[in-house]
Amino acid sequence: MDITLLIQNGIIVSLIGTVFAGLIGLLFNNATGRVLSYSLLAFVNAIGAVASFLFLTGKESVSVIGTIPFGFDVMFRLDILSSIFLLIVTTISALCAMYAIVYVAKYEKVYHLPSLAMATALFIFGMQSVLLSMNIAGFMVSWEIMSVASFFLVMADKEKASIKAALFYLVMTHLGAGALFAGFFLLSNGKLLADLSSLAVTAQALPPTSAILALLLFLFGFGSKAGLVPFHVWLPEAHPQAPSHISALMSGVMLKVAVYGFLRIISAFPMMPSWFGILVMVLGLLSAVFGVLYAVIETDIKRTLAYSSIENIGLIFTMIGLALYAFNNQQPMLGELCLITAVFHSVVHAVFKSGLFLTAGAIVSETHSRSLEAMGGLAKRMPILSGSFLILALSAAALPPFGVFYGEWVFLQSVVGAFFVVATNPVFTGLLIAALAGFAFVGGLAIFAMVKLFAIACLGEPRTEQAAHAKDAKGLLLTPIIILTGLIVLFGAFAPNLLSILRADGLVETQGVSPMILVPSGGSVTPMFLMGLLILCVGLVWSLRRLFSNVKNERPYHTWDCGQPITSGMEYTATAFSAPIRFFFRLVLRAKKTVIATPLLATNPWIAKRTMVVETNTIFSQYMYEPIGKGMIWLSEKVRKIQNGSIQLYLALIFITLIVALMIAL
Amino acid sequence: MYVFKLWKTLFFGARVTESKSEFLSSKDQEFEQVGEEVREIVKRLYGGRSLRIRAVDGGSTNAEELELTALNNAYYDIDRFGLSFVASPRHADVLFVTGPVTRNLEVAVKTTYEAAPQPCLVVAVGDGACTGGIWKDSYAVVGPVEAVIPVHVRIPGDPPTPTEILRGVLHALQLQEQKV
Amino acid sequence: MNSIIITIIQGLLVLGIAPFAMGLVRKFKALMQGRKGAYPTLPYFTYATMMKKEMVISKSTSWVFRVVPFVVLGTTVFLALVLPLVGMGGVLAPYADFIVVSAVLAIGAVFLVLGGLDSASAFGGMGSAREMTISSLVEPVMIVTLTAFALVAGTTNIDGMLGMHPVLTLSFLSLILVCLAENARYPVDNPATHLELTMVHEAMVLEYSGPYLAMLEYASALKLTVLSLLAANMLFPSMMLSTSVWVYQGMVVPTILLSGLIAVVMTVVKVVVMMFLLALLESSIAKMRFYRMQEYLSIAFFIALAGLVIVLINLV
Repeated sequence: MDITLLIQNGIIVSLIGTVFAGLIGLLFNNATGRVLSYSLLAFVNAIGAVASFLFLTGKESVSVIGTIPFGFDVMFRLDILSSIFLLIVTTISALCAMYAIVYVAKYEKVYHLPSLAMATALFIFGMQSVLLSMNIAGFMVSWEIMSVASFFLVMADKEKASIKAALFYLVMTHLGAGALFAGFFLLSNGKLLADLSSLAVTAQALPPTSAILALLLFLFGFGSKAGLVPFHVWLPEAHPQAPSHISALMSGVMLKVAVYGFLRIISAFPMMPSWFGILVMVLGLLSAVFGVLYAVIETDIKRTLAYSSIENIGLIFTMIGLALYAFNNQQPMLGELCLITAVFHSVVHAVFKSGLFLTAGAIVSETHSRSLEAMGGLAKRMPILSGSFLILALSAAALPPFGVFYGEWVFLQSVVGAFFVVATNPVFTGLLIAALAGFAFVGGLAIFAMVKLFAIACLGEPRTEQAAHAKDAKGLLLTPIIILTGLIVLFGAFAPNLLSILRADGLVETQGVSPMILVPSGGSVTPMFLMGLLILCVGLVWSLRRLFSNVKNERPYHTWDCGQPITSGMEYTATAFSAPIRFFFRLVLRAKKTVIATPLLATNPWIAKRTMVVETNTIFSQYMYEPIGKGMIWLSEKVRKIQNGSIQLYLALIFITLIVALMIAL
Repeated sequence: MYVFKLWKTLFFGARVTESKSEFLSSKDQEFEQVGEEVREIVKRLYGGRSLRIRAVDGGSTNAEELELTALNNAYYDIDRFGLSFVASPRHADVLFVTGPVTRNLEVAVKTTYEAAPQPCLVVAVGDGACTGGIWKDSYAVVGPVEAVIPVHVRIPGDPPTPTEILRGVLHALQLQEQKV
Repeated sequence: MNSIIITIIQGLLVLGIAPFAMGLVRKFKALMQGRKGAYPTLPYFTYATMMKKEMVISKSTSWVFRVVPFVVLGTTVFLALVLPLVGMGGVLAPYADFIVVSAVLAIGAVFLVLGGLDSASAFGGMGSAREMTISSLVEPVMIVTLTAFALVAGTTNIDGMLGMHPVLTLSFLSLILVCLAENARYPVDNPATHLELTMVHEAMVLEYSGPYLAMLEYASALKLTVLSLLAANMLFPSMMLSTSVWVYQGMVVPTILLSGLIAVVMTVVKVVVMMFLLALLESSIAKMRFYRMQEYLSIAFFIALAGLVIVLINLV
């Protein structure tokens, strides 16, 4: 069979099947319907994943999937950039759907399952069609499907906090969508049915000021969806509130769709001012530093992961920003390397972050709390899950021998190599120093955040009754997590091959960079051998220990306690664990610690029950969003005054509006 | 430049630990002899010259603790015999228990013994630890250390001198050697 | 062939000399305090004794507790094999990329931290929180410092970075600060403390006993040896083993025979000198309060950045 046809049909099946699966879930409100719906969703997305994989391994660079008739002229097309992201979307969606079969059944009373199934399917459909649709109208409609579906998903449990987070998300995402719309409007000269590939032509005709304005609008639009500081405030609120498989999709995949959009648009601007690259990079670094600091001090398992997503998106945008600047300053080699590592990081982040969110979901479904302080001792009770958790957390901390490390390694190596080339350009050198120091700093703290996440949740003694009786995840709940863990280990061994599969050479469209560049410092180093060497060293130690000492000679006894029995209340908590960082970065973090002492005896004030509360206030919500919010409310109060109910006044207002409009128009 | 002054002391300051010959001619010659013997036995017994000690206070008057601290000072310096104090019973080869075991510290003494990996010698240091001393039969004490955990060696004295403590360690090791 | 022999000699020598180095620094410190101190070979016997002893494993711990000693020692052995310590151009030298090395150091630190937290004791948690803070903030300093070395040497591989250049003075200073922090020595940590409240490294291994404790203590001795040899080699890279062949009075002398002997002797000399300097440093300064570590770390970071800028100015 013709492979092109196979790919086309596969993707069409995946698109239609996704919606169909949602309908099944919506119409059949019982266990069978649910299983059928999610199984179909997983199956068709797996087909989509295979199709996009086949496309990537094939030779073609563009494949037309189909057009929607009736004059809309919405064209569905696949090229290399979109197929990389489509591969992420479909793979992760398939795994999340598989996970959802068991997971949603646990929350039958919390969620309205039929609408959850429909919204999930629409959300996935929206993401797929954003990647496939190649004209502005199709892109925007798909974007809106994705946003609105995810809005309903955030408030799925109908709690007060969720509804608040969802509304905040809705406002932010629509401000972003508005900006995107305005940007497209400027770019395409008002032709909303224009093809995305034609934008490069129209962009050149634009006057420079409108081009810059369009660029800034796109940066805001995609940046607010991706969670770039300072437009990130909704992200740590909204992502954790959704059901865990949806959080995995939102953090792992939806943010990548925004990255895709940004990459797609900037390729339409052949000439952009150099400061734009610097701006993107600065915002990226700011997001990375800010995200990682909050990931360190956060005590909620899913919020930690959400902040870590901000950090990773920051790293990706730093790479993109540096790439833009490099292209602008005649350093195409560095620019291409940065772009490749940005795409590589997007792929690996999707894998490990969705794995971590699914793990968090499995843990939360046992401990019934998202707070790390309510967990502990899970490594003993959930050995398999915690094993995957450890591997995923270590890879999220960018440690070898897992996949994420190689992206950062190549990026840092290219930065070090670039110092020689641009030494005479002080601005460029400064940017490289900032990128280097920023990446190193963020990398260090990311290790802290991930170690805290794993150690406080899984080690020591359980801190609550529920955690003490936690059971290991099994079956379909565990399988997707194991698959994702396996993928990240495989990426560790085969990082260079991954990039050649992703057709990174086709991505940057020049022959200067080969994917084998992912083999730093000469040909004799391969990631697989490094992994083997590390395992060999550990194995050597293991066998020597067997050789020289008696393995059986051991005795269980409780932890040494200085004579005073230890309770789980004496363990280090997440708050205590991150206390040094809170102290060292107190000027940035502004955590407020209040100790409330309630005396137990009237005679002696020193005998008291003390509770400590640590409040963290983000500078952005304090100094940026709250004033804006207050200003809006103040404005609305003023506007309300003219709304006094008299018809005459309304008529007069309409009349005045007409006159003003005519004056402007004429 | 304080640091130069400090370095002068470090390099040319007095050697506080007295040499063997001086020790042998003075009243503390025993200490050196006993120390050498301890080292020999530890070497035979453990195949090495290292013995790690954990001190447990079972309710003493702190007189014994002062003497134990003295073992570590520059004059006695038990480091040179391969003995050292450690911070956790998990790391220890020998437990030094002092004082009559009070009711409050009974559990502490017991768990410390159980927390230490075997083989682990227990040395009762001081009269209180050996017999209960002047607190014997008091309502507040459980009694001597052997009422709580098995004791290998008793070192009487209130408090025993560092030399006596070292001799006690030697005795403990000899006992252990006979058993092996 | 030569490169394989170099790696084998280096592995055996460094692994063998590590306990001696640990004993030596204690001996030097004792001498400076006016004591006699233990024989420098004491750690060999200590580890041998511990290998034979029983292990007491806390009931609170999970499988993580048992994995920790192997990973910690394994990563340190990796460093001992890969880094240029006794000879340059070993068969594993291509893996001595500075980013890999700092990441592998971080793996060791991470697992030590996990081991400290797994016993559910407050001491372990305290040590772990401190160690994690220090090592996560030391990592950027290390990367920036070694970048400066890489720019002077023209390679990111530490194997090619050895040798001093005047512009690297500041970077070398920050390298020393990094090594002190990584090894939990003064002024970051007091390796000889018995007070749990002042511990960093020791607090994490409080719960280990028997062979596992021996492995962890050996790993920290090994790390000390590796990093101090590395710092010494940055200053004096001469007389190390290399793959080149010596010609002596017209005869081709097999490198391994003659220069091997010289390199081994030089390594021992380097270890003795470095341990003496470390003991001198530890006798001359006081330990810093943990909450003043931010000053130490930020000073190290800015020294590293300044060193990088100086190197870059020199590059133009």
